Amino acid sequence: MTMAQTLPIPGSAAALPTAAAPALRTVALGKAYGPITVLSEVGLDVRAGEIHAIIGENGAGKSTLMKLLSGHVQPSAGHLEMAGHRVGFADAAAAEAAGVVLVHQEILLAGDLSVAQNLFLGRELTRRWVVDDREMNRRSARILSAIGAHCHPSDRVGSLPLAQRQLVQIARALLEQRKVVIFDEPTAVLANDEVAALLAVVRGLREQGVAVLYISHRLDEVEALADRITVLRDGRMIGTWPAAGLSQRDMAELMVGRKLDMLYPPKRPAPSAVPVLQVSNLVVDHGAVEGSFAVHPGEVLGIGGMIGSGRTELFEGLLGLRPAQGRYILNGKEVAHRSVSAWQTAGLVYLTEDRKGKGLLLDEPLAPNLTLQAMDIVHGRLTLDRRKESTALEQAVATYDIRVRSVHLDAGQLSGGNQQKLLLAKVMMTDPSVVIIDEPTRGIDIGNKSQIYDFINQLVRAGKACIVISSELPELVGLSDRVLVMRAGRIVAELSGDQVTEQNVVYAATSGSAQAGRKTA
Amino acid sequence: MTTSVLTEAAAAPRRFRWADMGPFLALAIVILAGVMLNSSFLSGTNIANVVTRSAFIAIIAVGATFVISSGGLDLSVGSMMAFVTGIMILTMNRLEPSMGANAILVGAGVGLVVGALCGLLNGLIVTVGKIEPFIATLGTMGIFRALITWMSDGGSIPIDRALREPYRPVYFGNVLGIPFPVILTLIVVLIGAFILYRTKYGRRCMAAGSNAEVARFSGVSVARVRTTAFVIQGICVAVAAICYIPRLGAATPTTGQLWELQVITAVVIGGTALRGGKARVWGTVAGALILEVIANLMVLSNMVSEYLVAAVQGVIIILAMLAHRFIK
Amino acid sequence: MTFINRRALGLLAAGSIAALMASTAMAQEKRVIAVSIPAATHGWTGGVVYHAEQAEKEIEAAFPNIDVIVKTSPSATAQVSALEDLAAAQTLDALVILPFTSEELTGPVEQVKANGTFIAVVDRGLTDPSIQDLYVAGDNIAVGANTAKWMAEQLGNEGKVVVLRGIPTVIDDERIQGFTDVMKDTNIEILDIQYANWNQDEAFTLMQDYLAKYPQIDAVWANDDDMLLGVLEAVKQSGRSEIKYALGGNGMKDVVKMVMDENPMTPISTPYPPSMIKTAIYMVAGQFTGQAPMRGSFKLDAPLITPENADQFYFPDSPF
Repeated sequence: MTMAQTLPIPGSAAALPTAAAPALRTVALGKAYGPITVLSEVGLDVRAGEIHAIIGENGAGKSTLMKLLSGHVQPSAGHLEMAGHRVGFADAAAAEAAGVVLVHQEILLAGDLSVAQNLFLGRELTRRWVVDDREMNRRSARILSAIGAHCHPSDRVGSLPLAQRQLVQIARALLEQRKVVIFDEPTAVLANDEVAALLAVVRGLREQGVAVLYISHRLDEVEALADRITVLRDGRMIGTWPAAGLSQRDMAELMVGRKLDMLYPPKRPAPSAVPVLQVSNLVVDHGAVEGSFAVHPGEVLGIGGMIGSGRTELFEGLLGLRPAQGRYILNGKEVAHRSVSAWQTAGLVYLTEDRKGKGLLLDEPLAPNLTLQAMDIVHGRLTLDRRKESTALEQAVATYDIRVRSVHLDAGQLSGGNQQKLLLAKVMMTDPSVVIIDEPTRGIDIGNKSQIYDFINQLVRAGKACIVISSELPELVGLSDRVLVMRAGRIVAELSGDQVTEQNVVYAATSGSAQAGRKTA
Repeated sequence: MTTSVLTEAAAAPRRFRWADMGPFLALAIVILAGVMLNSSFLSGTNIANVVTRSAFIAIIAVGATFVISSGGLDLSVGSMMAFVTGIMILTMNRLEPSMGANAILVGAGVGLVVGALCGLLNGLIVTVGKIEPFIATLGTMGIFRALITWMSDGGSIPIDRALREPYRPVYFGNVLGIPFPVILTLIVVLIGAFILYRTKYGRRCMAAGSNAEVARFSGVSVARVRTTAFVIQGICVAVAAICYIPRLGAATPTTGQLWELQVITAVVIGGTALRGGKARVWGTVAGALILEVIANLMVLSNMVSEYLVAAVQGVIIILAMLAHRFIK
Repeated sequence: MTFINRRALGLLAAGSIAALMASTAMAQEKRVIAVSIPAATHGWTGGVVYHAEQAEKEIEAAFPNIDVIVKTSPSATAQVSALEDLAAAQTLDALVILPFTSEELTGPVEQVKANGTFIAVVDRGLTDPSIQDLYVAGDNIAVGANTAKWMAEQLGNEGKVVVLRGIPTVIDDERIQGFTDVMKDTNIEILDIQYANWNQDEAFTLMQDYLAKYPQIDAVWANDDDMLLGVLEAVKQSGRSEIKYALGGNGMKDVVKMVMDENPMTPISTPYPPSMIKTAIYMVAGQFTGQAPMRGSFKLDAPLITPENADQFYFPDSPF
């Protein structure tokens, strides 16, 4: 709170008499669903040729604001102005016609169509009633190379890695000249080199005089990119500041409205010397990915590398979710028959990076999700014991601080952070000794992040081992006692102690044969 | 601070959902319409007839609820029904000279085994062969239909006259006034509901249909779950066949024709999602009853031309589904 | 040939138009008669297939120089393809065809005729009657009319009847037309006519509903014997005693047996015998072997099957 007072007066820039009318302005904009107000009194202005970041915790109203600006949702109070004129967008198409486009956070592409077909979906070019594939491919290639995407217009979107799909989605938004481009968490699934390319795209838009609104949880990106920053909290606009005056810590504190403790827990005493899990000669996908490693009780083992370097594949192979072979010793015993359930019985669990696609049944309530992997625990003599199940859910909700209005909600109705905590609770049901967490905090807000870090810390303090796969370098470095770096399907470096720095991880992940990092499998 | 709020929420009773009541409301409305249209609708005989008739579709549809909720689809049930019926009658006729009426019991046992094997075949083609259930069961639908046609030379396979009388009560008999097929349906539905809602297998069925990847990542063998669902479907078909044979005493190439569509319609009207993940066994029974009551009303009322009966039935089914959506 | 009744044979003689040319010269050559019929998907077509195959066996045994090829098809389009295949594989001397539909098969049959093949059409006539050299058919109107006449007479021109009809087709329409036309001139009231798709199960269900709807039913007519079996079961279950007659039609062996056994509820039936295919094949074979002219249209009558003549219509080995 004190922080805000030492900063420049919010919104002062908007009063400058010399400034031209902003490209997009909101006047007392608000949105309510029935009696529930999710956003109120937002007076935001975005100028042509600036990058304007919007930050806030999950639930602060960022997504609602973006949907209001891009015509996906209609305001229940206030209105929009473009270049000084009052406007209203009946739908997203109307907003796009006026030059305002939203690049969605979720990837909304047709997997079976080609890149070019996706880019022109709904606005296909035709020549004498026939779709003009050649022209669409040509224009697609141009826009793809302009934003640094490595895919080809004729590639099938479903076969592309996540990061490339994200870039295709951005390309789709930028296909036509825009006045205002809104990015919603564009880098959530990108690896570092791809992030750099994307940031260059965003800066390029600024050069062209486009007004860019940029939403991100990655405060380092915001710091590097933004000209001005607007903070939302609990559905209200806290203020707008020039980026130059704010540190990442300032931003985080404005977002949560209080002083933050240290985000990453302090490192623990040296772990035990005897490994709890020893993996030798694990070969996944017929040799596309290989590795040998060990992890010790009381240790956080970080797995770094670019997206596509084989990190997820290595561990999905270990779990038997992909064709793989190798030798494994867990708790001193050889594990022969590998499957998710066999590993779980032996004391090892894996928490997927793909929360919505592979982790939770979004259409089911919390209880079946929680117990899906460990039904024996809540099983009576003959049937599932509903009472035990709801007790287990109550405990999980309390232990993992899952915040829900009602436990009868479906999992899909929870926020990302609460979904992640539910997923954690789900794999922890059987009290495993080794926990593998793939991207522990992807797409979740800073408050939930620090809770998950605390949780990982408690876990290893209790003598368990935790393997963390992360694309977020500060997270990887902040959490891990030791880091293995992967490149092109192989473990290329092991860093420990003082060696665990962002620079070393990046160097190991990218050095050597420069582009070898892109794996084909 | 949050924990106290949450335990409170956890203790709150599950909210009543109108959407779950949809099929039963629809059934009530159809019955109400029946009462208003024709006084003989409510007569004991008519009600007993309608409920008894719906037993076949209801029993098979309970099996289909498993298949559909686990993410599959079975188009072969009608043909499989005819095939199983044919095998059972042939078995019974063969055994009758040596065993007398006990041939019925053995024949029924053989029917259950054959039904389970037919289901297993469907299941393995879908899971091991990795062929879309729609195409796989379209194929077996043709196979079963051709087999019964071949077995009967295109005519009919009648049951031995000596077995007709002892077997007759299985369709026409009753216990305390409740027709036997209705009791059988109730037993099947209770077992089905128990498995789906109370056991690990039911949970896994739902998980596999809701999102197969999530199930796989949670250590559930999706292939095994789906294959088992097809086997359950096969057994349900055999149970329906057991109480079908005494009705007309014969299997013909038209036995069970297009039943697969009625079965799927009953399941969907009952609130089970065709894409999998949601199973409503009791709704399925309501769905089967709705279909049969509508057909009954079409005959009882004089309002609809015989040429337009199918159109009116189609409209009612679509209206029921729309009502379902709007209640949500 | 006992199953061709006298009137049909009379027609056969009267209808002969021209002698077959050069038949003696070709007597020693192998003659090919192709038979194209629907696949056995229900009772009646099952009977057609049975009788066609019987004819094939008997004729090939009796006349070594005649080759009969029987081909079944599950749909009209499949039958068109089958015709093309038959005509392409060999020179056909004669084609005996029971077409799925008149409209769709007329063109393809004309193509076959263009090669000089003798064309015999059974049951459903072609749209252009000049294509067919020989036409053998049952009389669907008579099936309905004769049943109605008998029923009206037995009921003394008074009473209430319900009717079950089959699948919407010309055959079904004609039978219903024959029945209702006769009933119009009586005091008999037709309470209801509904479709039961020539299906035992559906007939059972429909009859149950009729019984629930109408407190008084004097007689039932199902325009096909398959449906009659379902009707009888429903009547038996209801225990209703006022129903005097339940009649069918088509000459299904189970029903013919009931007639032979003098069943009180079903004392008669009306033939629309699937054996007409055999009649046609024999007639075609006859002109190749005996130089008997076999051109023209032959309509099989629909005489009542009674306990006295039932053995003529009873084929215990046929599936129908």
